[in-house]
Amino acid sequence: MQDTDLSIPATQSTPHIRADAAAGVLSLSGDSYPENAFELFGPVIDWVEGYLAAGEAPLRLDLRLLYLNTSSIRAVMDIFDLLEEAHARRRAVSVDWFYDHRNERVRELAEEFAEDCTFPFRILPDEESPG
Amino acid sequence: MSTADSELDRRIEALLADPAMGDHPLRDALEALWERYLAQVHRLDRIASLSDRFQALVRDRDLTRTEQFEKRLRQIEKITRISDGYQEMMRELNVQLQQASTHDLLTGLPNRRFLAERLKQEAERSRRSGEPLCVALGDVDRFKRINDTWGHEVGDVALREVAQAMDRTVRSADLCGRWGGEEFLVLLPATRLAAAVAIADRVLDAVREVRVEGIPGDYRITISIGVAEWSAEERPEAALARADAALFEAKGNGRDRVMAGI
Repeated sequence: MQDTDLSIPATQSTPHIRADAAAGVLSLSGDSYPENAFELFGPVIDWVEGYLAAGEAPLRLDLRLLYLNTSSIRAVMDIFDLLEEAHARRRAVSVDWFYDHRNERVRELAEEFAEDCTFPFRILPDEESPG
Repeated sequence: MSTADSELDRRIEALLADPAMGDHPLRDALEALWERYLAQVHRLDRIASLSDRFQALVRDRDLTRTEQFEKRLRQIEKITRISDGYQEMMRELNVQLQQASTHDLLTGLPNRRFLAERLKQEAERSRRSGEPLCVALGDVDRFKRINDTWGHEVGDVALREVAQAMDRTVRSADLCGRWGGEEFLVLLPATRLAAAVAIADRVLDAVREVRVEGIPGDYRITISIGVAEWSAEERPEAALARADAALFEAKGNGRDRVMAGI
C-alpha cells in the first residue's frame, strides 16, 4: 500500500484535490482551468499509477467538478484510461461523479466522459452541493 | 516439394543405405553431395522463416501505429466534444448572468440599473435628434396594505401581475421596468407630454383590470403615475425628480390617477 497521500488546496482556477491511500479514494472538487494542467495533474496521475501498482485495494474517484478547460478534460481522461487498464486487470475501480442537480449540463458532460468506460461510473445528483 | 522431388530423395536415400552399393565408386561422392543438399535445404527454410517473421513484425508495428493513431484521434474528438460542451455551458451561464444583472428577478422586467443606463442613452439620443423624451413614474397604491392584509406572497403576485399589465400596455418602443419596491418607471422616447399622459391613463385602466388569486374580487389594485417631459438643458435625473413630484401630487389627489409634472 502506497502511504503517501495528496492534498492540494483549491485555488480560484484549480480544484481541491485529495488522495487518501488508506481509504482508496481520490477526490477532486471545484473548477479546473489551470495555466499549466501538466503541473497540476502530473502528481495526481503519478499518484493513481503508484496506487494501482502498489497493491490490490480498490480505488474510487469522487468527482465534484464544475468547469473544466480543455487540458483538464484531457488529464481527467488520462486518469480514466489508467482506471480502464486496471479494470481490464480485474482491479476494483469506480467513479462517482456528483453534479449540482440544478445544472443538467454537467450531467450531460459527465455522461460523455463515461461513454467509453467499462468500469462502474455513477453520475449522481448532489442535492446538498452549494455550487 | 513435388512428388518427383520426394521420389528422387527416397531413391538416393535407398541407394546410400543399400549395402550392395557400399563399394560403388560413386557412393562417397553421392553421399557428400546428398549431405550438402540437405544442409542447403535447411538453410533455405531458416531464411524463409526469418523473412516471414520480419514481415510479420513490420506488419504488426504498422497495425499498432494505426491503432494508436486511431485511438488518439478518437480521444481528440472526444476532448473536443466535451470542451465544446463546457464552452456552451459557460456561454449559457453568461447569458443568465447578463439577464440577472439587468433584469428584476420577481417581475422579469428591466431593473433599476438597466433603466438608469437606458435613460442616459435615450437622453443622449434625444439631445442629438431633437426628439422629445418622457418618463412616467408609477407607484402601486396602498401596496403595504395588500402585503399586510393578504401576505407577502400575494403581494409578490400582485406586483408581477401589475408589471405584466403595464408592460403589455406601453408601446413597443417604450421601456417599462421595476424602479424599486412597488415603483415602476416607463421611458417613452419620441413622445410629448400629452401623449405620455394618454399612455399613462391606459396603464391605469390596465392595472384596474388586474385580478390576483388571494385578493377578493371586489378589491381594485390601482396605481398612481407622475409623468414628466425631459428638456434638453437638464440632466435626465431632473425629469425623474419632476415625475416623482407629480406622482406625489397624484397620491395626494386621491390616487389611481395621472399627474403631469411641468
